[in-house]
Amino acid sequence: MRLPTLPWSTGSFLSLLLLPLALVSAEEHSSYDENLLLRTLPGNSVLASFRFVSNGTFNSHHSVFPRSLAQILQHSQTKELHLKFTLGRWDAERWGSQIWDGRTAGGTGVELWAWVEAGSDAEADARWTTLNNALSGLFCASLNFIDSTRTIRPVMSFQPDGHHAEDIKERLHLLHGTLPREPVCTENLTPFLKLLPCKGKAGISSLLDGHKLFDAKWQSMSIDVTPVCEEIDGVEKCQLQMVQTVDMVLDVERSLRKKDSVIPRPPHLDQMICDPNKFYSGSDSCFPLDDISDLSWSLSEMFGRPIRGSCPLASLPTSQSINVCANVPDQRAIYVSAGGTEVGRGDNIRCFILEENTDFDIILPDQSPAILLPNIEPPLYASRSFTGHGQERGGVQAVLRNPSPDRHVEFVYLESLPWFMKPYLHTFSATLDPPIETQWEEKIIQEIYYRPALDRRRGTQLEARMRIPPNSTVLVTYDFDKAVLRYTEYPPDANRGFDIAPAIISILAPRNSQTIFSIRTTSLLLSLPTPDFSMPYNVIILTSTVMALAFGTVFNLLVRRFVGADESVRMNPVQVLKVKIMAAVKRIKAKRERSGKAELAKKNE
Amino acid sequence: MAASLSSKTTNLTSPPEIHLEHRRGNTNSSAGSLRSTRILKLLPVLSSFCILVGVVWLLLLPLEDYSRKTYISENALLPGQVHTYFGGSEQNVFRAYRNEVGALGANSSSGGEMARVIGKIFEASGLKVGRQKYSYTAAGEEIHGENVYAVLQAPRGDATEALVLCAGWLNMDGQLNESGVALVLTLARYLKRWSLWSKDIIFLITSDSRAGPQAWVDAYHDLHDPPSVASLPLKSGAIQGVVVVDYPSVRSFESLHIVYDGINGQLPNLDLINTAVRIASGQMGVRTTLQEMWHHNDKYQDRLRTMLRGMVNQGLGHASGPHSSFIPYHIDAITLQAYGEGRHDEVTLGRTVESLFRSLNNLLEHFHQSFFFYLLMANRVFVSIGTYLPSAMLVAVNFTFAAIGLWVESGKKKTKTAPLVAKAEKDDEKEISQRLSEAVPLPTQTSEERPMLLPLAFVIIVHSLGFIPLYIFNQLDEKYLTPVFYAFGALNVLLPPVISTLLALTFTVTTVHFKLIKCFSLLTLGMFLSALATLNFSLSFLIGLFAVPFTFIRPFPEKKWTAGVLSMFLLQGLTPTSALVGVAYYWGEPLGGILKEAAFGWQVWGMWTQVVVWCVWWPAWVTTGVLAAASWNLGNEEVW
Repeated sequence: MRLPTLPWSTGSFLSLLLLPLALVSAEEHSSYDENLLLRTLPGNSVLASFRFVSNGTFNSHHSVFPRSLAQILQHSQTKELHLKFTLGRWDAERWGSQIWDGRTAGGTGVELWAWVEAGSDAEADARWTTLNNALSGLFCASLNFIDSTRTIRPVMSFQPDGHHAEDIKERLHLLHGTLPREPVCTENLTPFLKLLPCKGKAGISSLLDGHKLFDAKWQSMSIDVTPVCEEIDGVEKCQLQMVQTVDMVLDVERSLRKKDSVIPRPPHLDQMICDPNKFYSGSDSCFPLDDISDLSWSLSEMFGRPIRGSCPLASLPTSQSINVCANVPDQRAIYVSAGGTEVGRGDNIRCFILEENTDFDIILPDQSPAILLPNIEPPLYASRSFTGHGQERGGVQAVLRNPSPDRHVEFVYLESLPWFMKPYLHTFSATLDPPIETQWEEKIIQEIYYRPALDRRRGTQLEARMRIPPNSTVLVTYDFDKAVLRYTEYPPDANRGFDIAPAIISILAPRNSQTIFSIRTTSLLLSLPTPDFSMPYNVIILTSTVMALAFGTVFNLLVRRFVGADESVRMNPVQVLKVKIMAAVKRIKAKRERSGKAELAKKNE
Repeated sequence: MAASLSSKTTNLTSPPEIHLEHRRGNTNSSAGSLRSTRILKLLPVLSSFCILVGVVWLLLLPLEDYSRKTYISENALLPGQVHTYFGGSEQNVFRAYRNEVGALGANSSSGGEMARVIGKIFEASGLKVGRQKYSYTAAGEEIHGENVYAVLQAPRGDATEALVLCAGWLNMDGQLNESGVALVLTLARYLKRWSLWSKDIIFLITSDSRAGPQAWVDAYHDLHDPPSVASLPLKSGAIQGVVVVDYPSVRSFESLHIVYDGINGQLPNLDLINTAVRIASGQMGVRTTLQEMWHHNDKYQDRLRTMLRGMVNQGLGHASGPHSSFIPYHIDAITLQAYGEGRHDEVTLGRTVESLFRSLNNLLEHFHQSFFFYLLMANRVFVSIGTYLPSAMLVAVNFTFAAIGLWVESGKKKTKTAPLVAKAEKDDEKEISQRLSEAVPLPTQTSEERPMLLPLAFVIIVHSLGFIPLYIFNQLDEKYLTPVFYAFGALNVLLPPVISTLLALTFTVTTVHFKLIKCFSLLTLGMFLSALATLNFSLSFLIGLFAVPFTFIRPFPEKKWTAGVLSMFLLQGLTPTSALVGVAYYWGEPLGGILKEAAFGWQVWGMWTQVVVWCVWWPAWVTTGVLAAASWNLGNEEVW
């Protein structure tokens, strides 16, 4: 157990005085823990899941809980916050169930939801705007673009994770916003790392490098801040818990290829495995056999560097911290470098504790044929696509498959649509595919919550609680109209289309209808009727240029005082000042004279 | 020429009654009427002038001064700016795959064996595979097959956009697309190793080149007919571009033939064609050809021929390759066809496709910069809609002019007091007008009450009759198509005289009736053709040309045995049926084949050409036929 480093260097007497107090509060309220889970996935992919948990209070100066975030939360009266940055798509069919039950991952782009304490909806909206703007600055993301048209207030999909007092609970407002078009990149990672006590210099966070992270097939960064209360000696003590996670799926082949050549040139014929049993096999044909072996990889090869020892601030009050776990088939060998000790071995899992200031690396040798971990099936497979074509109307079709042979799945399907996509609720339907049992038809959709859009003010919110029988597929469909936007409402790349936020599927626990698993579909690209911008833009640009030129010239002629070259006298600063003062005096005199004259004139009248 | 001559006779006969009206008519309108008289006289000339200018306009287009050089409008495409690496051991893989395709054979696709085997190869490359069964019935024949496709998910992509690389198992001629399919399989394996894709790539092997792509693209947009065409198990984002590879030969090829016509004459964005041309000829050094012009010297004649072939293809509105089915969905698509025997092999084609996909991958927005309406004259020479549209519009507008003329004429009162007129005619026109202005206004109206009911009903009924051949030829079994067509052709010859006689027997029809019938018919034709010109220029222009004599043919009661007979004969050459026979003879294709293709186009592709032929062109023809036949039904004393 270690104490947080204190600002000794300032040498201030005050800080020395405060030390005992700070130590106590730090010990009691502030703790930090981090761990990394590595899991091999089919197709030579590796899932790396980083998890950082910091506990602390709002006011403590010596907490590991970042003050920058705490102040934002305090200012905007946000009691619980969930912020997700996601890139790419999770391939559930190949990789199975999402890690952490899909609760740390958001939809493509940025997703943010929070419980804000407020007396009224308007107040909640104002605080939500404050929160978005502040977070936008903190994370270098366009979160400030989450305005009223992108904000919804989900009713069934989300429940607060933290402990909230009953009296506060009534005043909490849930607000949810998405930016499906936001490209998540390194500028979001840097502030993310800065929130960590070790700031990516030591501990598992030292692996987090922008180049590697954003080369992943899928990656998600999330921040969840919840109040956590526990009873200590009969007194309930509450503090904030921040869970930061970075999950990513790395392509081993691609990561290793980066070493020698980025270009995937065709391999030499000698390196290829050809099927010798084909009737045509010979020197000029090669029916390629798949290389089904698991490639050899190590942490330093995948991430470009080893783990730089443990984070000295990491601690858990109760048990010893486990830093790195590898979820790898038992049959596969694992070699670890010095700097880590194996502490536990479970079913297909091996865990290690890191040492301080010592580099740590894990090496997995190649394995042929590949050994796969048992596939963890997600409770539901979901995909969503547009139907129809043309610029006037369209449809959405979501295919939801319950793979379980014996369990029903109950879930809430949430769509947050922009106002210019106008769904028809009467066309919203869920049908079994293929339609077999007719008695199920009307029972699939159990409850619908619908908040219609208002043009340019808010989007559509559509929540439907559904129940899918075991081993069956349900098609959820609805039709919509496309609105014609105003000229200025189009983005610069109008012909690309508009991104529609992923649908959120929250799978509910059978009894208490708490969300136990979350799934996001992919986002969609909606093409709206788009005018030909090239001509108006040309005209605007040309006209502006001509106007600017003309105005500039005329303005210049009017304002500038022209002096002959021989008339200009070089003056030192004192002279300049003198001239200026003289001029000012002259001006004031002239003014007085004028006003005096005016008064005289008045008197005369 | 006969038609224009006859129009002159019209002019000669018209003045007497018109002048008479000035005498008797309202003085206030007389000056205007006088002017309108002159314009009326001019109208047939104006019509002929429009047609002449329209045709000459089109013929001028291939000239250097009127056509433009193509250019890449979408700067993001950067065609040919990347190195291509396809080759080396991939060629060995290609040969192996080609052997696999060859071993499966041409007949394996309809049964589903192809889909299974090819699906396995895709799966081995680490791609997700989907299969789709379909069956269509057209002209009494069932067409069925199974498509197979694989989705290469963009490494960091979010499934919002996709590109398609397609090859039909059988090409448009029904040959096994041996090298084409093998190339797609090899490229699927090769392109998967690249990590730079911003869009998903779908590798699609369709069971054939005609129905398969249509079934797939319909199902991709969920606009299919579920029991006969299956839904797709796997989808990706909005398709931004499609490239089809057609390479049936196992030998090396000489040039790349770029096929671009879509269904109903829709075209892909010109940028896509330009990119393909630039990459093939600029980067790869492969000659590219268009519209089966295998040798093109870029002179006037070859340009004109390329343009006319393009217009015929566009006018027919049929699918010219697997890419055609994508275009109605606003997906830009082309087919790259390997032609001839030469020095280029599959690696060159593979590299062309690789480079093309790298360019398409750069697209930030859907193709929108360049032209969607154009006529290509050569690889790098085109005219855009602004330049060529006037020619079809002029042809279409000639009908409208004639119709307006007839409407005004039909309203003029007729009396047979010619001597007065003869006197008046000699007077100086100025004098007349002076005298008329001095005269006291008379309360009588110049215009006659037009008998509207019969002409309107006639035109509407004739146009609705068009649905009968439309239905018959689209629904009939293949074996009945040819005999029924000949029967219909024979009936078609007799139809106008019969209708004309019936009309004369049941109603007391006068010249005014026929004028109004012709007026409405031409008005409809002009309206349809000018609207169509903006959608399918070529079809509008071609039908407009066939319909040109309709402006000038009218009843010739006074010279029924000369002009009447002549126009009757002329009309027989202008009917849709004889045009179809002529086309079949010219192309050396059996008539039944063309009719079957048309029925297939209607059932599968959603082709609209038939509708235009049977519901616009044919009714106009029948009406004109009735007018010509009326020469015998109108009394000699009736003046047009």
